Amino acid sequence: MSVVDTLAEREDMISPGISACIGCNVELTLRTVMKVLGPNTILAIPPGCMGGVGVVGWNKRSGSKVPVFFPLLDNTASMLAGIRLAYDAKGRDANVVAFAGDGATVDAGFQALSGVAERGDRIIYICYDNEGYMNTGYQRSSSTSKGSWTSTTPVSKEGRGGKRQNGKDFPMIMAMHDIPYVATASPAYIPDLVRKVEEAMKVKEGLAYIHVYNPCPTGWGIKPEESIMVSRLAVKTRFFPLYEARNRKFRITVPVPKPLPVRDFTSRIKKFSHLNEEEIADLGKLAEERYLFLEGACARSSADA
Amino acid sequence: MNEIAVMNGNFAAATAARLARPEVIAAYPITPQTPVVEYLTQFAAEGTLDSQMTEVESEHSAMSILSGASMAGARCYTATSSQGLALMYEPYFRASTLRLPIVMNIVNREMISPQSVWGGPQDSLTLRDAGWIQIYVEDNQEILDTTIQAFRIAEDPRVLLPVNVCYDGFYLSHMTERVELPTQKQVDGFLPPYEAKHQILDPRKPMAIDPLTNGYLVMEYRKKHMAAQAAALGVLAEVDRDYTALTGRSWKGAIDEYRMDDAEYAVVTLGSVTGACREMVDAKRAAGVRMGLVKIRCLRPFPRAAIAAALSKVKGFGVIDRNVSFGWNHGIIYQEVKAALYGSGCSLPSISFIGGLGGEDLTLDLVSQAFDAIVASVDAGKTVDEAVWLWSPRKGVK
Repeated sequence: MSVVDTLAEREDMISPGISACIGCNVELTLRTVMKVLGPNTILAIPPGCMGGVGVVGWNKRSGSKVPVFFPLLDNTASMLAGIRLAYDAKGRDANVVAFAGDGATVDAGFQALSGVAERGDRIIYICYDNEGYMNTGYQRSSSTSKGSWTSTTPVSKEGRGGKRQNGKDFPMIMAMHDIPYVATASPAYIPDLVRKVEEAMKVKEGLAYIHVYNPCPTGWGIKPEESIMVSRLAVKTRFFPLYEARNRKFRITVPVPKPLPVRDFTSRIKKFSHLNEEEIADLGKLAEERYLFLEGACARSSADA
Repeated sequence: MNEIAVMNGNFAAATAARLARPEVIAAYPITPQTPVVEYLTQFAAEGTLDSQMTEVESEHSAMSILSGASMAGARCYTATSSQGLALMYEPYFRASTLRLPIVMNIVNREMISPQSVWGGPQDSLTLRDAGWIQIYVEDNQEILDTTIQAFRIAEDPRVLLPVNVCYDGFYLSHMTERVELPTQKQVDGFLPPYEAKHQILDPRKPMAIDPLTNGYLVMEYRKKHMAAQAAALGVLAEVDRDYTALTGRSWKGAIDEYRMDDAEYAVVTLGSVTGACREMVDAKRAAGVRMGLVKIRCLRPFPRAAIAAALSKVKGFGVIDRNVSFGWNHGIIYQEVKAALYGSGCSLPSISFIGGLGGEDLTLDLVSQAFDAIVASVDAGKTVDEAVWLWSPRKGVK
């Protein structure tokens, strides 16, 4: 089945009434992912945007057509591991899936996720990375890019401030756990995302981790109509490369042989607007270093193969 | 006649867990609970444990895994102590408010600081209002029997709450005693398989568990949670009767009385110190003092009517606490007992003893001094305001 057919014919598993912001590409990502995963899925939505907009529901109503629950901010991976153990004990199978923001993943939830990766609990963990705590007004996370304005890394009237540290290269950290499947994805590359979710569903032993980069119109200051364009520019500038890794064997799935200048990405985002040329260039330099590291990993992988 | 074995408290807990056939066990080692995890993994290695067993990276994840497993309908077990319990506080509170019938042994250990690995129930007593059922036991037979019973109580449709069976670190966890073992067949008959009906993560019956909830529904949940706590007292007694029919042993439900029938004075106890106190009751009785003992087994739900009825027979009482209530500057159990009496309109002279912290020994001499102080204050008709500290003189201690 082609991706277009899949998305056209499969049932939308998420309530039509959820209240995400205009231009939210996380909602698009979730609906897409859930169409691929289908009804035999148990879904964990920790506190964050997708919980806030009502995917778990409100009072006694559900926001989803599959079993869904709020884990705590910091235990999504371990709660899912428990569900898998219970299903194993009962001899049943289902997709056991997290759809979690970067705060619940790279910050408070990291220990639980790393533990699941090490023990090889069979779950699918999808992180929607919008670089911070967006549903509470954009506080910084350890995924936030250097220089970003956030409500907890504010900028003075003179233009001084913003986050002082680089964000973690989190998908690479997960790949270094030697798990069966790690991938990065983007709402601007839906066929690539769909295929990666299908790959994650094929994993029969251990953790499948997908890290989706979701520029946030509301929090970052992006025009809603440019939501997908900015997501695509993150890939085309090599700011967020799309790749997959199986047990440390890397492959870039959307090669970017001639990257656009990083300014093409940052200039459409208000949270970077106070940065000078040098600071923007530094962001580009870090992206380039990470891309070269990734290319090196890919080259070593194909040499080994 | 059942098999008789010699085992420490941790082995009794692990054996009870094995006999109860939990579908999922997740645990992280911490002194003095560590051997429980070792015994269970050894059972798994030998193929005698009928459970999915996972050794996790923290207690937070242990309780989180069991919460997920219980939401997926599995019978669940773990054990912890002290700092491990503190680390799991977040999913601990949530396990009770999600009404997940998980069973967890707490091998009581002092809370730090000062740095200490030795016994004392400060860990679980501090969390007495987190919605779990908490039962405290006196010896290794009671650990085994009560841990098996805990699954029946937790999973009863009238209760559906998680249960702690708490026992003193080292005094029980590492002490070897005679224990009678029920057979697997007996336990299987006593414990029917758990079937989750109130909530279940199952794609065949999709439901949202714990969506964002308005205040009026939060109030409804709390009220029903309290009703379940209240119902647990009756279920505890019922389960004890069934277990007695099976094994011949009864632990008497929420409280146990010793020589209270004609007592003038009473001591109230919790946990392993009860043994020394029973012995001292006998000694004082031999010397003509009509002393009796009330052992609290079930701290949550608090058996306030039973305690008030038991103490209404005496002229006054004392409570020996191996813990503190900072701010009240008494022991926690002392405050609980006094609150129960106030509700029953019974005002008696009383005295709060604090001793045995951090594994410090509560010797027969110290218990004897406590009993003498009870008699003195009761005979004077006075309640002692300040807690009396039970400890042996040591060089350099003020």
